[in-house]
Amino acid sequence: MELNSLKDAFDRVAKKQKLFCSKSHEVMDQIVQEIEKAIEMMQPTTLDHKSILAELKKKLHEIAPLGQLEGTQKELNIALSKYPKALEKALNPDISKAYRNIEFDSRIVNQIITSHFYRQGLFDVGDCFITEAGEAEAAAATRSLFQEMYQILEAMKSRNLEPALKWAAENSDKLKENGSDLLLGLHQLQFVQILQKGSRDEALKYARTNFVPFAGNHMAEIQKLMGCLLYSDRLSESPYAHLLSPTNWDIMAEELTRQFCKLLGQSYESPLSVTIAAGVQGLPPLLKFMTVMAGKKQEWLSMKQLPVPVELGKEFQFHSIFVCPVSKEQSTDDNPPMLMSCGHVLCKQSINKMSKNGSKAFKCPYCPSDVDAARCRQLNF
Amino acid sequence: MEIDPLPNGTGSADTTSTETTITKTATTAASNTALSSNPSQLTESLKLEHQFLRVPFEHLKKTIRANHRTAEKEVSAVVSSFADVTDSNGLSNDDAVLSLTSLVSRLQGLKRKLDEGNRTENLQAQRCRVRLDHLESTDAEYLSVWNNVRLKRILVDYMLRMSYYDTAMKLAQSSNIEELVDIEVFQEAKKVIDALRNQDVGPALAWCADNKSRLKKSKSKFEFQLRLQEFIELVRAENYMRAILYARRYLAPWGATNLKELQQVMTTLAFRSNTECAKYKVLFDPKQWDFLVDQFKQEFYGLYGMTPEPLLNICLQAGLSALKTPYCYEDDCTKEDPLSQDNFRKLAMPLPYSKQHHSKLVCYITKELMDTENPPQVLPNGYVYSTKALKEMAEKNNGKITCPRTGLVCNYSELVKAYIS
Repeated sequence: MELNSLKDAFDRVAKKQKLFCSKSHEVMDQIVQEIEKAIEMMQPTTLDHKSILAELKKKLHEIAPLGQLEGTQKELNIALSKYPKALEKALNPDISKAYRNIEFDSRIVNQIITSHFYRQGLFDVGDCFITEAGEAEAAAATRSLFQEMYQILEAMKSRNLEPALKWAAENSDKLKENGSDLLLGLHQLQFVQILQKGSRDEALKYARTNFVPFAGNHMAEIQKLMGCLLYSDRLSESPYAHLLSPTNWDIMAEELTRQFCKLLGQSYESPLSVTIAAGVQGLPPLLKFMTVMAGKKQEWLSMKQLPVPVELGKEFQFHSIFVCPVSKEQSTDDNPPMLMSCGHVLCKQSINKMSKNGSKAFKCPYCPSDVDAARCRQLNF
Repeated sequence: MEIDPLPNGTGSADTTSTETTITKTATTAASNTALSSNPSQLTESLKLEHQFLRVPFEHLKKTIRANHRTAEKEVSAVVSSFADVTDSNGLSNDDAVLSLTSLVSRLQGLKRKLDEGNRTENLQAQRCRVRLDHLESTDAEYLSVWNNVRLKRILVDYMLRMSYYDTAMKLAQSSNIEELVDIEVFQEAKKVIDALRNQDVGPALAWCADNKSRLKKSKSKFEFQLRLQEFIELVRAENYMRAILYARRYLAPWGATNLKELQQVMTTLAFRSNTECAKYKVLFDPKQWDFLVDQFKQEFYGLYGMTPEPLLNICLQAGLSALKTPYCYEDDCTKEDPLSQDNFRKLAMPLPYSKQHHSKLVCYITKELMDTENPPQVLPNGYVYSTKALKEMAEKNNGKITCPRTGLVCNYSELVKAYIS
């Protein structure tokens, strides 16, 4: 985007503003100077102060303070009116054009926001919001759920693994069910930490008590960890140096968050963050459409489906969508996707149409195969 | 916005070592950032930031204009009082010196005032710059941080518009984004709104006077509406004479453009505030004050180049529509989908579904996209999963596949590939 041209336009504003400022100072100083000069002349003598005043009047008239400022002011005004025009040209001046006038229930929105604050660990802000906006009951539950998680994460930040280990041990069955190696990962961090402190015996003891349950599935890692014992005092120069990397801590903190949310039955990302991010990706094509559609606002308000495809990144794909390549329609329960004998997939209605309701074989639109409608199989994604 | 890169629900991690899991997480994270930093998408999203740049500029412009006005006024005052000095004949030398000296000190005072004004202007100009720089600072590396800040900005905007000022302040301070939000600008609105809520039109009228020329340009009726309300209050208090005087003075000038409303409101003189006549009853409704608050907000947003709706609502609506599919409302909707939550479902209810031109298949097991690299395969019962998930399952179970949704057991060799275009 032409951020640079915007910057230039703004620089012009700033420059003209400075110019105007110094100019008005200059003018003011001139006036003050003239007056002071006049005062000085009047001071010693009581001569003809009238003529001095007349002289001063003439001088001030020459200075013409307002007239002098006019020019620079005009330039400043031009700059001031150009910058917003540049903004309007480079950016989208009204993103609410893509907004349907549907009143959101502000109570629901507020509940969503409170949950968001709590799950992001912004407990103070969340509390403050509840005081201002109400809606205490619904949010209190979320608060206590996530408070524990942030206590664990805070402890991890100060390199204290106890709360994390405690939580992971308590939930080890569920973690295993989810296929998460969180517990072993945490033990590994702890083990390396002990080793780093230089006490090999203690590390060995720790390994004996804690690694045994993992021997079945994780022999390779455990062997590596035991190998570390050989290098206890110079781990950083050993083949196992990567175990010291602080990113291991970040990764485990992330995995803990992920698993914690999962066991709570919550998503890993804040749903509000996801929706807003999707909105930011979705708005540009919608706005583009609205400019084309200008004047047909009514139609927009009654649409059951967005008029334009909004391509979101794959991080926003939560469901399988099948669009029939022939009819360009999305599959439904009544019009399910069907697998043809050649492996290509069309929707049932398209197959019915092409086979004249199953009465004859037809050619696959994507390959030379002949397709028998009766042998097509319904798919479930 | 990273989506679970770890296999879940399959127990497949049993075979993957911790180490590979770790590297996998790292690389997926990296590729995800690369994906969401798609340059054209980023540019497009920056184009949504008009309000972000416009508001501080309008604020600056307002300050500059106000400073000009004071300067102009003072200078002409000085010029005219100087004219007084020179024009008065009987002035003694001492008196002349005295009044000249006072003019000088007045000018010095003006200079100080201008300096002060200039400092404010510089601060506000600085803020405009900070915003421009912020838009430029969208490095791929820190994109997720930047996006996070964007959400916070959007939330502060919402708080300010809904008059949750404390939360707005707290959120801005705790996140260190005060320069990126418009708390100061809203202080001005807060005064007017608070007064209107107390049924006091004073600050609102002062605000109208302050912004007279711009309101006139946008053909705003706001001042007229305030005057009407004041008139109604006089009628309500049965202060009819004053009401008539008030109407003569403040309502009559609007007659040319808003005669109908003017006539309607004048008729209230004939009715009492407890009238049952619907047409006039509504004018006495205390809700009219709420209407004035809303009206003021719209005028205020307009002057500062803000969107008429909170940014949050606009983005939320677009996001919900973009995410909404018929599958979101099914029971087995994944938790990662915001639309699996009741509150989001309720908000999305009246909104349109998203539209897709191309198939996008997500593996039921791994939740990963099925594409040419990870093509979908069909079980004999018609259920489809990704090659990756099925391969892993087969490796662990001697080539046997168990359909997680139907319990059907089959051999890996019985699978057929599906070609989705």
